[in-house]
Amino acid sequence: MQEWANQLCENRQFGSKMTDSKYFTTTKKGEIFELKAELNSDKKEKKKEAVKKVIASMTVGKDVSALFPDVVNCMQTDNLELKKLVYLYLMNYAKSQPDMAIMAVNTFVKDCEDPNPLIRALAVRTMGCIRVDKITEYLCEPLRKCLKDEDPYVRKTAAVCVAKLHDINAQLVEDQGFLDTLKDLISDSNPMVVANAVAALSEIAESHPNSNLLDLNPQTINKLLTALNECTEWGQIFILDCLANYTPRDDRESQSICERVTPRLSHANSAVVLSAVKVLMKFMEMLPKDLDYYGTLLKKLAPPLVTLLSAEPELQYVALRNINLIVQRRPEILKHEMKVFFVKYNDPIYVKLEKLDIMIRLASQANIAQVLAELKEYATEVDVDFVRKAVRAIGRCAIKVEQSAERCVSTLLDLIQTKVNYVVQEAIVVIKDIFRKYPNKYESVIATLCENLDSLDEPEARAAMIWIVGEYAERIDNADELLESFLEGFHDESTQVQLQLLTAIVKLFLKKPTETQELVQQVLSLATQDSDNPDLRDRGYIYWRLLSTDPVAAKEVVLAEKPLISEETDLIEPTLLEELICHIGTLASVYHKPPSAFVEGSRGVQHKRLPGSAGSGESVESPDTGSAAGVSDAPPAVIPSQGDLLGDLLNLDLAPPATTTGPPPPTSSGMQMGAMDLLGGGLDSLLGGDLGGSPAMGAGFGAPPAGMPASFNAPVSGGLDDLFDLGGGVGMPSGAYSPPKSIWLPAMKAKGLEISGTFARRAGVVQMEMTLTNKAMSVMTDFAIQFNRNSFGLAPAGPLQVLTPVSPNQSIEVALPLNTVGPVMKMEPLNNLQVAVKNNIDVFYFSCQYPISMLFVEDGKMERQVFLATWKDIPNDNESQFQIKDCHLSSDAASSKLQGSNIFTIAKRTVDGQDMLYQSTKLTNGIWVLAELRVQAGNPNYTVSLKCRAPEVAQCVFQSYEAVLKN
Amino acid sequence: MISQVFILSSKGDHLIYKDFRGESGSDAVGVFYEKVTALTGDQPPVVMSHKDLHFVHVRQGGLYWVATTTADSSPFTIIEFLNRLAALVKDYCGSLSEKSVQMNFALIYELLDEVVDYGYIQTTSSDVLKNFIQTEAVSSRPFSLFDLSNVGLFGAETQQSKVAPSSAATRPIQSSREQGGKSEIFVDVIERMSVVIGSNGMLMKADVEGEIRVKCYLPNCSEMRIGLNEEFSIGKSQLRGYGAAVRVDEVSFHQMVRLDEFDSHRILRLCPSQGEQTVMQYQLSDDLPSAPPFRLFPTIERDSGGRLLMYLKLRCDLPPKSAAINVAATIPIPKGSLSLSQELSSPDQSAELKPQSRAVVWKIPRFTGGTQLSALFKLEVPGLSSASLLEVGPVGLSFELPKLTATGVQIRFLRLSPVQPGPSQRWVRYVTHSDSYTIRI
Repeated sequence: MQEWANQLCENRQFGSKMTDSKYFTTTKKGEIFELKAELNSDKKEKKKEAVKKVIASMTVGKDVSALFPDVVNCMQTDNLELKKLVYLYLMNYAKSQPDMAIMAVNTFVKDCEDPNPLIRALAVRTMGCIRVDKITEYLCEPLRKCLKDEDPYVRKTAAVCVAKLHDINAQLVEDQGFLDTLKDLISDSNPMVVANAVAALSEIAESHPNSNLLDLNPQTINKLLTALNECTEWGQIFILDCLANYTPRDDRESQSICERVTPRLSHANSAVVLSAVKVLMKFMEMLPKDLDYYGTLLKKLAPPLVTLLSAEPELQYVALRNINLIVQRRPEILKHEMKVFFVKYNDPIYVKLEKLDIMIRLASQANIAQVLAELKEYATEVDVDFVRKAVRAIGRCAIKVEQSAERCVSTLLDLIQTKVNYVVQEAIVVIKDIFRKYPNKYESVIATLCENLDSLDEPEARAAMIWIVGEYAERIDNADELLESFLEGFHDESTQVQLQLLTAIVKLFLKKPTETQELVQQVLSLATQDSDNPDLRDRGYIYWRLLSTDPVAAKEVVLAEKPLISEETDLIEPTLLEELICHIGTLASVYHKPPSAFVEGSRGVQHKRLPGSAGSGESVESPDTGSAAGVSDAPPAVIPSQGDLLGDLLNLDLAPPATTTGPPPPTSSGMQMGAMDLLGGGLDSLLGGDLGGSPAMGAGFGAPPAGMPASFNAPVSGGLDDLFDLGGGVGMPSGAYSPPKSIWLPAMKAKGLEISGTFARRAGVVQMEMTLTNKAMSVMTDFAIQFNRNSFGLAPAGPLQVLTPVSPNQSIEVALPLNTVGPVMKMEPLNNLQVAVKNNIDVFYFSCQYPISMLFVEDGKMERQVFLATWKDIPNDNESQFQIKDCHLSSDAASSKLQGSNIFTIAKRTVDGQDMLYQSTKLTNGIWVLAELRVQAGNPNYTVSLKCRAPEVAQCVFQSYEAVLKN
Repeated sequence: MISQVFILSSKGDHLIYKDFRGESGSDAVGVFYEKVTALTGDQPPVVMSHKDLHFVHVRQGGLYWVATTTADSSPFTIIEFLNRLAALVKDYCGSLSEKSVQMNFALIYELLDEVVDYGYIQTTSSDVLKNFIQTEAVSSRPFSLFDLSNVGLFGAETQQSKVAPSSAATRPIQSSREQGGKSEIFVDVIERMSVVIGSNGMLMKADVEGEIRVKCYLPNCSEMRIGLNEEFSIGKSQLRGYGAAVRVDEVSFHQMVRLDEFDSHRILRLCPSQGEQTVMQYQLSDDLPSAPPFRLFPTIERDSGGRLLMYLKLRCDLPPKSAAINVAATIPIPKGSLSLSQELSSPDQSAELKPQSRAVVWKIPRFTGGTQLSALFKLEVPGLSSASLLEVGPVGLSFELPKLTATGVQIRFLRLSPVQPGPSQRWVRYVTHSDSYTIRI
């Protein structure tokens, strides 16, 4: 750069020292006329002053387009300062005066040939900014020359000009072959030129998603990495952003790119740092976690992020929004940096709130004491919003870190003692959440809470308090009085409070029926007769009907055990998080929305995805791995192509998961079912019913309406189990044994999705038969399935066919054909299969065990001679013997039963009243298992001896024997 | 990609407007001003959107520096860019104000043209830019050696008696060449301190963020060498020299700094561009080399008349030769406090009740090291309860410590090569500011 820079120094022309501000003085009549005269003056100085005045008027928004011809006349000058001013004017008005703009073309073309590179670049830059179609034709030849100019300053300007031209006329750019020239510039010797070429190509590529314009391969990547060290900070940003779109072939390439990008982390420009962080966060996904380098990289990421927090508040805020994402994805990076997120008293409030959020995300058993001490300080600050959020944060800590719950509760009690109104109210709201997380643990504080009843004036706090009173009505002596006092102003309360009050009084009634009958009737009539709110009315009717029909059922519904609230309800939904991680440092990361949500048109709508991890025996971190481990004791191992699965997920636009802070789910599910029923009839009977008091619970609530589902409160799973048994029975006739369905994934662990299933071999095809049950409140769609690698290479032979959405409480049967050509890895136990199922809500993991008889192939009958030879050939060490007890089949019956499962009897011998059956079986992977089954007449105990070259399978095969024979 | 850049005065006047990509009209300026003035205090002002246009802005010199974008661009890039742009304009025009921007609009347009092309940022280095810029800057205020209105003075590196007025550093960079301005170089070591002292007097958190800034008015300086303390060490484990180490945790350098002599001799080598640059930034957390500069010993109680009594003793633990200036302690007080009576230990101090911010502000213009000041405040608070005593505190302190760095970072020498022909001045200034100094009660 320096070469031309120095050369240009001599071209400098020093202008006048007159003050520019006088041009802003007000317009007088005939000003345009005056300017016209000045523009046509002979004196250069005067001309220049005139053009300045014109531009000043332009800036403040005056229309000076009438002067177009006169200004263009000034264009042919060798005074660079004047030329620049004229060009500035041209860029602004050419669009409105396209015909006159043509007048300027000749000068542009001439300037592109000027010996001074500064003028050549200026001409090509300005021409590109004149967005007039007619001009573009004349632009092509000069542009072609400039792209190959000897001066890098001209080349880099020309590179940008290609992007400008592409925006005006994309076809022209392609026809003229400018894109290829631009690609060649990636290999230019000057880093500025490379950076601009990369920027221009990236932008053009975005409007042609499939063009493969930026053909990123290891060679180009290497060139980019070399240019990265030499170009300006802004050029580095272009190059890093471009690198982030590349997917390395393997973990080694990924590591070598990371190594070369890491030095950027200590750059003073925060934009460079964030772009580097983006590249590293993305490529890290591919690194195996046991690699030393992975740990080193994690350590290197923390300091630059911390450094960002010493910037001015604006930048801090943007940085915090990004850190919030990074912390959710990889909390380990900043887990030791808790202190930097402590709030400073002079931070602006928006910075404070973001810091608070990150503090809670980083809170763990190790630092909770420190965090709590801080939060307690914040709760006495001046700013009301911040104080509220701090009090909430204490509650969130209690829910997140179980060990701290007790301290959190006592801290909250201390705060309640301050009697500061909004502090008390917030504290009560979070204590309610703590009760829902740790029921029956901290009820001793209720008395203190009740003391503050009168000071509660916010709906949320009132509702929370009412919930507490209702939930623990049996422990609060004057619960009825308390609730009655709320009831007095029922109609002035907000809906939230009304609904909560209704539920609380019904709970109270169910707990203390004798004293509170009047109260419950009062609230039911208030809700159903005097309210215009349909939600309230419907809930009122449901309770009414429940109570009048079957008080016992009502008790079980209303007082049902509530699910515990989840640890963190405010996490960004994982697939969205993945996408946002790909957009670190951009607006998306500040808004926490995918770019498609706020960028118009085709640009940027492609969803970016994180690369899958290398299949090297480490598990992709996922909040749900725990559930997989819960199902089987096998350690969760790799799910190799999870990247693809996540990729699928990333193509979906998902709503964030619902939080569970509303009314307890059983109540509302009861409401839905009841509501449907109500519409079907029974409403009239209810309304017409006699409300006269009767001592017996429920008896006085009018005529019992018809149509109440009998097994309303029966455990749904029980019914489903029956269903599964049926399914299993249906599977029998085909001969092969198939175990009954069992629950693989309980709804508790999968956000309401329950999966039960079994395996069957039908017509030589292994099938996975599943029942998917939606026990959540929302419709489930977009099912997909993936297996981890397993001992026999089982893999889905096709996609999971769930064609219709599964609505709440609906079950659907699916059969997934499997093949055995997938990747193989020995599992423990051998027949363990780890499965990932995703739907529109999340990805879930479970493991199940398939009966190995699934894998017995139809041509498993061995020739007698071969059998004998093989039997002898297999060493005796490989023989294992098992007992099957309590089996009352004859040897023939056993033989035919086993044959149904592809265990073939080759020979039968009877010695001393004992039948010896010689059997063979072949597994899908070609392993032969030879067996000798001894059946003694009258003895229910069979003996099986198994011989196999792979003795590991013996145990599983035996289990299959047992299962087949006993069913 | 930047779509438009504009500069507005605080009243919303259009000073500069430049459209780079023709994606949206100039009505964006009005929309922005409406939005920014409608913001409430707790809304993050950095990124705002209107339809599919996104505004990113910073405030510098009382002006709004705004960029718009339509794509998913990086706000970091844009904020950094706007700050650099403001710095460039300051370098070129001498100072930042509505007037200086207005007077130099042609120059700023020219700058913008070189700095951004079609929304791609090209360069913000004044070294590169000086080759392209034709327009001459117009200085808004004649440079006067006698302008001593500002407080901070540059202490000369070698002779402590020589000082330069702080306005010396506010003049356009170009004039040094053309107007025969003096060859000067200014080096600032600026540190910001955040400290939290617990109610038990324990130091809970102490962070220092520091930077070395160079402002250069040398027309042809090929290399400059800045020598830091020999015992300057980075990280927890590394120790250098024999005396007490001057330690920091993290250091980052400007791109142009060459570090080949840094490891061995703690020398930064650079070719300073004209104008101002931050050469080095560093941080230290949780391990101050000396005691925190201030400690507070409060007694808060309720007197028999139901008034709130606050007896505060503030001790300055600086070395006796040093002093803090512009010290202000902000003491949050209970809601509804009506009136304040005060007893202060010297007449130059003052205290004031600020009912809107619910605080008493105690101001001390100069506070010498090793001394202690005390104040007694009596507050009339209707309905004072024991709970409202909890509303007192934490106390926030703001101050300036001239000629002092909290970390102990010093500049050993400043060498220029080739040796400058004619007189050239080298100035070094140290100052530590409070960033957030909180003492809990």
